[in-house]
Amino acid sequence: MRSLSGYTVRSLRANKVRTGVTIAGVALAAALLTAVFTTFSSLAHFLYQMEVHASGTWMASAQTQDLARFSDGLARAAKDPSVEHVAVLSTVGYGELTPEQQDMLGQSQPIVSVEGDAGELLGIRPSEGRFPEHEGEILLFEVWPEQGARVGDDLTFSVGTLQRPAEDDPSAEVQVVDGSARTYEVVGFFDRANLELSSDVGVSALTVGDADEASSAVAYLSFSGMGSAEGVEEAAEGLFPDARVKLHSSLLRYMGISSGASIWATFIGIVVVLASVIMLSCVSLIYNAFDISVAERIRQFGLLSSVGATRGQLRRVILLEAFLVALVGIPLGILVGLGGCWATFAWVGPLISDLAGGLGIPFEVAVDGRMLGVAAALTLVTVIISAWIPAKRASRTNIIDAIRATGTSRISKRGRAQAERATDPERIWRGAGIGARIFGVGGYLARASRKRTRSKGRAASVSLALAVVLLVTAGSLNVLLSLLTGAVMGGEPAGEVSVTAQAKEGGRPDGAPLAAQERMQMRNGELAEEERAFQGAFSALAGAPDAQPVGWYLAGSCPITMPKQMVGSALEEGGIYGVETASGEIATMARLSYVSDDAFDAYAESLGLDPERFREPGAVRAIGVAKGYGNDGTKYRLMQVLREVGTVSAVTAAVAGGTTPMTVNVAAEERTESGFVGYAVWGDDTVAMGESYPLEELDIATLPLEVAAIADEPPVLAGMHGEGVSLIVPMSLAQTTCLVEQDPVFRSYFDPVDGDHAALAQQLNDIGHVCFSSEEMPFELAFVSYNDHQAEMDSNQVLSMVVNVFCLLFAAILALIAMANVFNTVTNSLILRRREFAVLKSIGMSNGQFRRMIVDECAAFGVAGLIPGLLISAGVSFLLWWAVSRSLDGLAFTLPWAYVGAALLMTVVAMALSVAYGLRRCSADNVVEALRDE
Amino acid sequence: MDILTVSHLTKVYGEGASETRALDDVSFSIEEGAFVAIVGSSGSGKSTLLHLMGGVDRPTSGRVLLSGHDVYSRTDDELAVFRRREVGLIYQFYNLVPVLSVVENMTLPVILDGRPINQARLASLLDTLGLKGREGHLPSQLSGGQQQRVAIGRALMNAPSVVLADEPTGNLDTKNSCEIMQLLRDSNRVLGQTMVVITHDEEIALAADRIIAVEDGSIVRDERIRR
Repeated sequence: MRSLSGYTVRSLRANKVRTGVTIAGVALAAALLTAVFTTFSSLAHFLYQMEVHASGTWMASAQTQDLARFSDGLARAAKDPSVEHVAVLSTVGYGELTPEQQDMLGQSQPIVSVEGDAGELLGIRPSEGRFPEHEGEILLFEVWPEQGARVGDDLTFSVGTLQRPAEDDPSAEVQVVDGSARTYEVVGFFDRANLELSSDVGVSALTVGDADEASSAVAYLSFSGMGSAEGVEEAAEGLFPDARVKLHSSLLRYMGISSGASIWATFIGIVVVLASVIMLSCVSLIYNAFDISVAERIRQFGLLSSVGATRGQLRRVILLEAFLVALVGIPLGILVGLGGCWATFAWVGPLISDLAGGLGIPFEVAVDGRMLGVAAALTLVTVIISAWIPAKRASRTNIIDAIRATGTSRISKRGRAQAERATDPERIWRGAGIGARIFGVGGYLARASRKRTRSKGRAASVSLALAVVLLVTAGSLNVLLSLLTGAVMGGEPAGEVSVTAQAKEGGRPDGAPLAAQERMQMRNGELAEEERAFQGAFSALAGAPDAQPVGWYLAGSCPITMPKQMVGSALEEGGIYGVETASGEIATMARLSYVSDDAFDAYAESLGLDPERFREPGAVRAIGVAKGYGNDGTKYRLMQVLREVGTVSAVTAAVAGGTTPMTVNVAAEERTESGFVGYAVWGDDTVAMGESYPLEELDIATLPLEVAAIADEPPVLAGMHGEGVSLIVPMSLAQTTCLVEQDPVFRSYFDPVDGDHAALAQQLNDIGHVCFSSEEMPFELAFVSYNDHQAEMDSNQVLSMVVNVFCLLFAAILALIAMANVFNTVTNSLILRRREFAVLKSIGMSNGQFRRMIVDECAAFGVAGLIPGLLISAGVSFLLWWAVSRSLDGLAFTLPWAYVGAALLMTVVAMALSVAYGLRRCSADNVVEALRDE
Repeated sequence: MDILTVSHLTKVYGEGASETRALDDVSFSIEEGAFVAIVGSSGSGKSTLLHLMGGVDRPTSGRVLLSGHDVYSRTDDELAVFRRREVGLIYQFYNLVPVLSVVENMTLPVILDGRPINQARLASLLDTLGLKGREGHLPSQLSGGQQQRVAIGRALMNAPSVVLADEPTGNLDTKNSCEIMQLLRDSNRVLGQTMVVITHDEEIALAADRIIAVEDGSIVRDERIRR
């Protein structure tokens, strides 16, 4: 066996290129597996760091209601070498807060006493000052400075216990009782409240000592050398047998010592799938290399067998080769994989870190020895699987066949049948095929070789096709992702930053019952007031130093009935949420927008309309938007919602029994004469709260609204097309006429003067806090929101980019495998036929004819991979597009041409390298040497 | 009249310590229509000599003249044309193209030369070589003797002036050896082709007009057989 070991090493040395390619294949497998497992460990480490940042490093906590019973456990923990850190938080009491303080801090100020290493265990970091070290010192949550607290101040609370109200009295609030005044010196503030410090009444403040022996306490523990969550739990229970033990499950999961979490299982599942794909791809590459290597030396194996080598010895020759190749390839691959991870994370790490909340925790390579071990072991398994069948083939070499073998081409049945027909000297050599026409006799010979043998190139072509499919599919995903992002964003918003607000529903009017007409008058007044208030707010917001105001509008829903002829095809297609009334009109909810006058005027003028027409006294006129989004049951797409101009009837108020205001909805299920139902916002003697009533049974007020013009596009300010019917009116109409059935939403848009959208958002926020405060507004607000659209778009682009980077990296790596596979197969199949080529040259084949033959053979391998690959890719891309366009209209099908180009380039490069190397190896200088090789 | 002249032919493989002098200043001439046997022990340089005569390899020094023309003054492409038209090479292991049928293998040199196939010659050769009915067979479907007949057919298809055969019967049984040698002798006699055959077989050598013995890269004996 020793002599065969020597033979193995000499064989590897003898063909440096083949050995090199095989080592490269093994290194590639190791690199890819290392990259996948290191990404996994890095992500786990990142999540672990995030968890530590949020909640600290405690692994288990033990809670008791009696601090006195803790002392034994703490004593045991102090002696236990497996306990790394202990911290005890015991309740001191609850400080009473003033109503102003309660607005920001919660119902009371919990105060806990800290003992031990709470900073690390609970992830508490003073953003200012320090931890309390002596009794009477206190560390407060970061919102306290907004209440005027400063480091060094003395703070006095009435500290007592918490009395919770009875469950059947939701209006009552918790109260601090049995309080006694305690004064603390503020020594610092911490900036992040974790779950352990938060409670329903507020975020705890930390002090030292001061805890009552009978108060409740929690011990937080971290251990070393724990292998399972059960072990941690048992250790904690062993230390504190009477306490309630809780595990820090998320941390244990990220530490890899907990199992069973479904998200983690999914994550591991993805890693397993990726690792399997890599192993399969690499098996095809490495198997190919070993298979060709054995075929090349089958004569040698026959000779070894003839001189007494056993089957086991021959098998071990190949397996030893595999082991030696792995010995070099695996460490090399691990280094390459780690390097690749490092380079990739340097690029996308900051983006991922930002996406995860920008806590300043870097997403970086976390090298885990166990993961590298798994990667190395799986690579070794891959190599052994790859070498096993070639090893068995080598061991079963038939001595006579091997020694007599004059060629390595294995003729197929089809090849024999073709040869049978190749007898007529008139017709042979005029073979079909593009290759024969372009490359002459070289092309004919290449075709004969290809068509009449059991091609060794099939694996290479399949591998190439797979790489083409993956590359082009990654491209299609990229294109679709970009289109989808654009579609979901609804195109460009009117401004980079927006402020949105809505008045709070006025509530049941006090005083005498109102008829619908009276309620309409009241709503007119309310809207006029809202318009004035929001105009004031917009002016104030526009005063932000970096703001360039774009405009504002008020939008709300407006129940309308309109003549059937006005309605576009969307109604028949099911794209409009509307029903037919008893009189044959269509009842639907329109979206009505009061657009600031200057923006409305610009819009009307762009349509060739006179804006003044929409401001004529007594006239209520709108511009209708012809198209709106709707779902026809199969897809969400733009539809024709308005066909022609006309007058619609808007329901402006609905009242039940003269007292109860109703909101109005389309009567979707129960048919009503009016097509609408009123929904009782409050109940009284006449109607029940939450019940629907046919509108025709109610007291309603309506107003004719003339749709004087129809436009294809909505005004720029109102952004993309909405759903259903959309009507645009000038803001000045809001002073007299309320057409919306509920309080409208105020939307205002701003662009940053200098491009700094984040700064502008902050400025608008600051101004908004003042101008939307109760002092400035004549009514309460339901909500105010500040939206940095640019930041959302940036974030989406970052997410899209991160997904693209990973897609591309994976596709590129598989492309590399395919290229290596093609190169290996093509060059080795050429080298194996070196003797055949030498014969051709010896009987007069010129160098030009030879080159043309080799180019034809290599091109055929490429085409055999490229064409099916592109066809399948086009199919997959189409399916992806079809799947997406089923739910979203307007996406044009296109192939990702840049990626198709990359696939072509990849094929050409693989072929060119193979041709260049094959020609060099089979050059004329080797003819005699090849012929002598008998 | 001499058709082939070998003049001070030397071939050295390798350099320095690994230098091997395969042929050392070999000179001789062969008359047109002669049947010459080259004999020698293994490694004596006889195959190298045959390859150099056939324009397959290039000598380190010396010249090979065929019909008075210096073979190695030609470019690589001209040498390829020379191999197609002027010489026919036959090897011990037949060296047929495994994916081509009998007819395709035989007509390959003609096609490489871009000329039309002489169908009468092909039919005659198939008949003479006993390959009728096997035109569409692949080499793997033929016996060793049949494969060697195809190799002979390929060598003769272009009617070269010189046929060079390297141990043509070395891989065959006695019966097939006799038949192959008879074919070569017939071709020599009937077509007047000059035949140079490398052989270990004394009987075959004795059937030749002339025996050139090579040892250690030099001619040690050049003997004409009188009949």
